[in-house]
Amino acid sequence: MNHQLLHIFRNSPLGRETLLQSIYFSKQAKVSPVIYIPKSTKFLMYFENDVVQIDLDDSYLMSPDTALEHATELLEQAGVEPRFLDPKHYTASTLPDIHTNFDYMSCPRSISDLSSKIGLGYIGPRVRRIVKSAQFPVLITSPVYKEWESIAVFFGGSVNAFNALKLGFRICRISGMPLDVFTLIENNSQESYEKLITDEDLEKEMSRYVNNWHFLKNKTLEENLYDVPHNALVVLGAYGHHLFKTFVFGNKMEKIQSTISNNLLIVGPNYTAAI
Amino acid sequence: MKMTIHEVAQCLNLHVSTIERWIRQGRIPIQKTGNGYLVNESALKKWAKMYRLPFSMPEKVKSREYEEKPENLLSAMNRGGVLHDLKGDDMETALKSAVEHMPVLSKTSKKELYRLLLEREHLTSTGIGKGVAIPHPRDPLSDTLKSPIISTCFLEKPIDFGAVDDRPVFVMFILLSQSIKIHLHLLSRFSFCVRDNSFVEFLKTSPDDASFFAKIADFEKQLDRADT
Amino acid sequence: MRIFQSWRYPANWTIFRLDDRLLLILAAIIVGSCSGLASVVLNRLLMAMFNWFHHLRHYWWVFVLPAIGAALSSLFLEKIVKEGAGHGVPEVIYSVSRYGGLLRFRSSFSRLISSALTIGSGGSAGPEAPVVISGAAIGSNIAKYFSLNDRQRVTLVGCGAAGAISSIFNAPIAGMVFAIEVIIGEWKSVNIVPIAIASVMGTEISRILQGNQIPFTHRLFNINHMDILACVGLAVLTAAASILLTRLLRSMDKIAKKVPAPLWIRAAIGGCAVGLIGLFLPEVLGKGYHVVQTTIEGAFSQGLIIVGLATIAKIVATALTLGWGGSGGIFAPCLVIGSLAGLTYHHGLALLWPSVSWVNQGCFALLGMAGLISGMLQAPLTGIFLIVEITGGYEVILPLIIVSAITTSLCHYIEPAAYYMKELVDYGHLLRPGTDARVLSDLNVSELIEKDCIAVTQNMLLRDFISIVKKSHRNYFPVENEETGHFMGIIHLDDIRQYLFNPVMYDTVFLGQIMNTRVEVVYPDDDLADVIRKMDANRLFSMPVVVNNRFIGLISKGSLLDQYRRELMVQTS
Repeated sequence: MNHQLLHIFRNSPLGRETLLQSIYFSKQAKVSPVIYIPKSTKFLMYFENDVVQIDLDDSYLMSPDTALEHATELLEQAGVEPRFLDPKHYTASTLPDIHTNFDYMSCPRSISDLSSKIGLGYIGPRVRRIVKSAQFPVLITSPVYKEWESIAVFFGGSVNAFNALKLGFRICRISGMPLDVFTLIENNSQESYEKLITDEDLEKEMSRYVNNWHFLKNKTLEENLYDVPHNALVVLGAYGHHLFKTFVFGNKMEKIQSTISNNLLIVGPNYTAAI
Repeated sequence: MKMTIHEVAQCLNLHVSTIERWIRQGRIPIQKTGNGYLVNESALKKWAKMYRLPFSMPEKVKSREYEEKPENLLSAMNRGGVLHDLKGDDMETALKSAVEHMPVLSKTSKKELYRLLLEREHLTSTGIGKGVAIPHPRDPLSDTLKSPIISTCFLEKPIDFGAVDDRPVFVMFILLSQSIKIHLHLLSRFSFCVRDNSFVEFLKTSPDDASFFAKIADFEKQLDRADT
Repeated sequence: MRIFQSWRYPANWTIFRLDDRLLLILAAIIVGSCSGLASVVLNRLLMAMFNWFHHLRHYWWVFVLPAIGAALSSLFLEKIVKEGAGHGVPEVIYSVSRYGGLLRFRSSFSRLISSALTIGSGGSAGPEAPVVISGAAIGSNIAKYFSLNDRQRVTLVGCGAAGAISSIFNAPIAGMVFAIEVIIGEWKSVNIVPIAIASVMGTEISRILQGNQIPFTHRLFNINHMDILACVGLAVLTAAASILLTRLLRSMDKIAKKVPAPLWIRAAIGGCAVGLIGLFLPEVLGKGYHVVQTTIEGAFSQGLIIVGLATIAKIVATALTLGWGGSGGIFAPCLVIGSLAGLTYHHGLALLWPSVSWVNQGCFALLGMAGLISGMLQAPLTGIFLIVEITGGYEVILPLIIVSAITTSLCHYIEPAAYYMKELVDYGHLLRPGTDARVLSDLNVSELIEKDCIAVTQNMLLRDFISIVKKSHRNYFPVENEETGHFMGIIHLDDIRQYLFNPVMYDTVFLGQIMNTRVEVVYPDDDLADVIRKMDANRLFSMPVVVNNRFIGLISKGSLLDQYRRELMVQTS
């Protein structure tokens, strides 16, 4: 129906890469992108249980007169109807409220820091808070526009991982791209993971959507990550079985995001997946 | 009993997003735990009563019109049978002999039927033109009829029925239904057949049962296709 | 693992599940204590700063001090904490109205520091509003930590505010009444108990750490009937002072915005001006409680003209501090202005009718304070209870009520919205529970969409359309483009009624010819209030909802009434 993806536009070459990536994702997942061109560096996002203040880095406000033009151009080139978000409510005169009932949100690895700081291993604190509170998955784009051609889901058996898996099924169904599942076997056996799937009645979907279920056997996670195709959309949960859900994401999640440069679609704890 | 929010939404006849919003705002006694919801049915019922909100399981929609397959002409006509060369010089005698020959009904109901048919004729003629008449009682019979009956009666010679186009009537279709809804339904289907002039010409030939029913089946197929 | 995780959701524990009042009470205790602490911290900071700067009083350049303080405070808010200036209390009310009281964590401490800088250096503002925001933010974040729902969070925000006011003034009832009257806006039993407890906790903390003192002690007053009559006049004067203050604040705000300088320089300019005034009338600086004390004791020795000047000077100074970017509240300045105004009135009375023995000037000072608070906040109950509690003067209750009530009414007549509420009301953000605006803002278009319309295409013949009408349950039929599926227009049964019985038209008319293309549409993220306005303006009872050029359903006034009524019932009873 009315599935939307929120994208905050940065009128710079780096921002262009991010927008192109968002547009590609929107076309594959059949959602319509809604662009917010910020007029001030701060805005508030009121989630169900948290209010996150986003302080954008100044490059987001660069050349505001050409921002609309550039964004429209990129959207029209891709054949997508340009839709822009105009905040209707303001907490203070310089603090617009951006609503949060989107289906996806796309952002680069950090939105409050300089572009120079964005590298592997770094996910800015604001982005982390959004992932934690949002009811939608967050697409963290790779620094350069790359069209992904398959989907890779990391499944570890936790509740979050199940949501990631269902989201993977969904995107596979809508976009038609091949889906692979990756599970790191540490102390458990392959059968225990398969049992988890049967316990949740997901075997049908597994056989229908999944191309290959890779059980990674190398000792450390980092060594295994080479098996993930370079042009795959990686879908994973933010937290695993970890006890403390504070500023740090799950252990594996942190390792993954600091090793691979693919586009990451991260599923937070408040997201409920529907296949 | 464990309920899902969709069931709760159905019971309250509200949209699921309204229920989700009320849970977030704390207006409905359902708690959110991480991914799921804790629903306590008895607490909900009490809450609904306090706020005068209707809370009931939606009944499985069992409207009669959908449960029973809508009656079609063929089965009704089969039940009513076809009479050829019915004797009668005028409307009353024709009707009387038709009623006599009708299957299924008892003697008393036949008397009753004849009276009702006459009553209806006196209101307005059931001759709908082109020589066709559809006598029927205005209200369903006092007998409980289980299925509708259409009795086809080809008259020996055309008689004056006071029809709308003043043409003499050569065939009567007596319609008996157990409810007005079914009566209207059959009437509407029948009128579709009669609109076709070639069908009326076909009737004038006083056809045998098999080809007559075949023709009716054809019309029914057309109607069914149009309905879907 | 599960056991540990569930302690994060106390609302789901079995003891609390059926009745969350106990949970709220426990949380209120925590919130009340924390906000009480916050206010004590601010108080101590202010006292410390007062002591540091005291010996500087005799230097000639001391008027720059408020400028430096205001500039620092503005810089702190903008650059370090990145809060984005907001006038605190309206932000709390806005969040309570619209988002169930969600407040940012940084608000718990940022305003404390910035207002300490502004007021400690001599700016004319009050420490109450910052403490209220801190307390409210503390309440909100504790609610967030325990994953409470909106209603519970709003109660805790109220608890924070109540704890703050109770602690600052050592006045638990005033704290309660303020929280309920101004912040939450509805008196519901589920709110009152936790808020009362938070007030008590706040007061207790303050008493433990600062001793049990009534801020403004006084002597007994003997009130007679002439004085009660005179109160009416006083009410008029305080109403005038309130209006003057409000208007001045607003115009200073506007003027300051036009100055093309960064925020902190503007704050500095305001501070300079205040400093200059302070050179001549030092009563004007800081929060001014000592002025109030002096006037109540009847020890303010100056005559009518000086006192009158002082009143106006304080009004101007407050407008300069707050309007130009300083950080603080208006409670304390209101008290000072009120006491000075009362004093002026008393001197005036004494001048005009010297034969009558008026009650002494301290009493009028007291009544003036009540008048100003009631006028500025348009919260008469808060004014009455606050004055009674901070002065312990219950015997003045009768004239107190008269002054408060009359001032509030007069101010309401001239300025329909209180100072805190004005911005909110202007933008339509003041959404008290159970009001039409609130119900409409809560409801969403997507909850009202009816999806049982059958769509037709523009090249369909009338004949085929009629067979569709046979099956449908509605009077509206959306027309979609055959190839693209885009929404083209709407056909209402009324439009084709005249052609329905004309068989010649059946095969000669295409639906594209009879559809209505100039039709107003609604988008799913439209405000319901706007939708209703559109419906009323065009006299429609149904409108199509369109997204991405596709028709998704109909929204009608009939189903809106149903939903509206349910929402109202759930919000109020």
